[in-house]
Amino acid sequence: MSSALNIVMPGERITAVEDVAKGKRIILGPGLRRVNDTVVASKAGPLKHREPNTFWVDNYQRRYVPARGDLIIGIIKAKSGDVYRVDIGSADSASISYLAFEAATKKNRPDLNPGDLLYARVLNASPDIEPELVCVNSNGKRGKLGLLQDGFFFKCSLNLGRLLLRENCPALKALTEKLPYEIAVGVNGRIWVKAHSAAETVGLANAILSLEQAGHSEIDKVCDNLGDVLQA
Amino acid sequence: MGKSDTEEVAKDKLRLMKCKFNPLSRCDGSVMYSQGATVVIAAVMGPIEVKTQSLSIECSYLECNYRPKAGLPQVKERIREAAIRDVLELALLSEIYPRSKMSVQIQELEDRGSIDACALNAACLSMLIGGLPLKYSFAAVHCIINEEGEFIVDPELSETVHQQASFTFAFDSVDGNLLLVQTKGSFKIAQFNDIECICRAASADIFAFYRSNIGKYHGRSDDVLSVTSKEATMEM
Repeated sequence: MSSALNIVMPGERITAVEDVAKGKRIILGPGLRRVNDTVVASKAGPLKHREPNTFWVDNYQRRYVPARGDLIIGIIKAKSGDVYRVDIGSADSASISYLAFEAATKKNRPDLNPGDLLYARVLNASPDIEPELVCVNSNGKRGKLGLLQDGFFFKCSLNLGRLLLRENCPALKALTEKLPYEIAVGVNGRIWVKAHSAAETVGLANAILSLEQAGHSEIDKVCDNLGDVLQA
Repeated sequence: MGKSDTEEVAKDKLRLMKCKFNPLSRCDGSVMYSQGATVVIAAVMGPIEVKTQSLSIECSYLECNYRPKAGLPQVKERIREAAIRDVLELALLSEIYPRSKMSVQIQELEDRGSIDACALNAACLSMLIGGLPLKYSFAAVHCIINEEGEFIVDPELSETVHQQASFTFAFDSVDGNLLLVQTKGSFKIAQFNDIECICRAASADIFAFYRSNIGKYHGRSDDVLSVTSKEATMEM
């Protein structure tokens, strides 16, 4: 990933991407679109590039837009027919079938109620139809997916969620040194944490939310201080 | 214009712009924006669930609400709201999120002149920070002809008392096309053309302001900060 700070604004033509596109196929991520033979930004933020050929705009965003394969945290809203309605923070509510859980059959239905938290994967997402979720992988095993019990749930910006999900995230590493905990991070800007005691759990949530205020350059500094936030 | 140099500089420059991103916690993006003493808060939500009556399967529905400082919106506010909505509709890439709604709320906090332009600029900033897909950003500039026939860009409320004519222009950031023209009072076509040029030049400062503040919000380095301080001194 390039570290050069390159802020793009909506409507800006991005010739750097076009130059790369002359040599090979490229992938345009969120915030970029093709207009005839030009590449134009549609969102405001730093332009990011990952080798060999992926470009996107890493804009600040709080609203989630579903995409296939995303791991998200949803809240069960209602049961209707063969599906549960799940709120995942997007424009439409998502649905998850009774049969999309491990070892579920028509006779043996999962016991979920409105208000329960679900860690699930987006099975299909398109602007024209409502998103569908699953809690099993292609082998029918649940893995880490499924109901999240106890713990504490809060919302944050999508950027913070993605930051925590990055490989070798310095923030989670810093917290691991202080106390044992469980965490589930959804890319829809929702986080669930659980530690041994309620006080520890709340401290953990505050420590993570304190990262929200920090700019990228300050992340390391904030991580050093996460322990202090936990004590407070 | 029979004025000394220092006063002339003040008359064809915008007042000091300031903004704070995300002062509100529950919407998808918000901004508190001020031009001089005129202050506005704008907030966006979107894409969100839409009522079936306004649902469109081809594009998203845009909702725009303008609230006055006190009381309920009256005819004057409704007209302003409609003008803002028209500009937002031009800038928004509505086909990206069909069957959804984009909602923009604008709350006037203090009107000390140029409220139309200020509200439009705040709406643009809130859409930028809320991550709504846009064709381009836009900037609005207000300008008047005072009783002596002088042009004043971004006037204070006190300066507008004896105005001959007032103009509000909005420009897009890509081609600099006109998105909105509002005029009031009597003026010659040559004056109109001159003022359009002056406002177009002033809109460049607003676009630079957008960029530096978005950059700053993304936690960026010293070079961005130095740009803004340079601008700030320029504005003074």
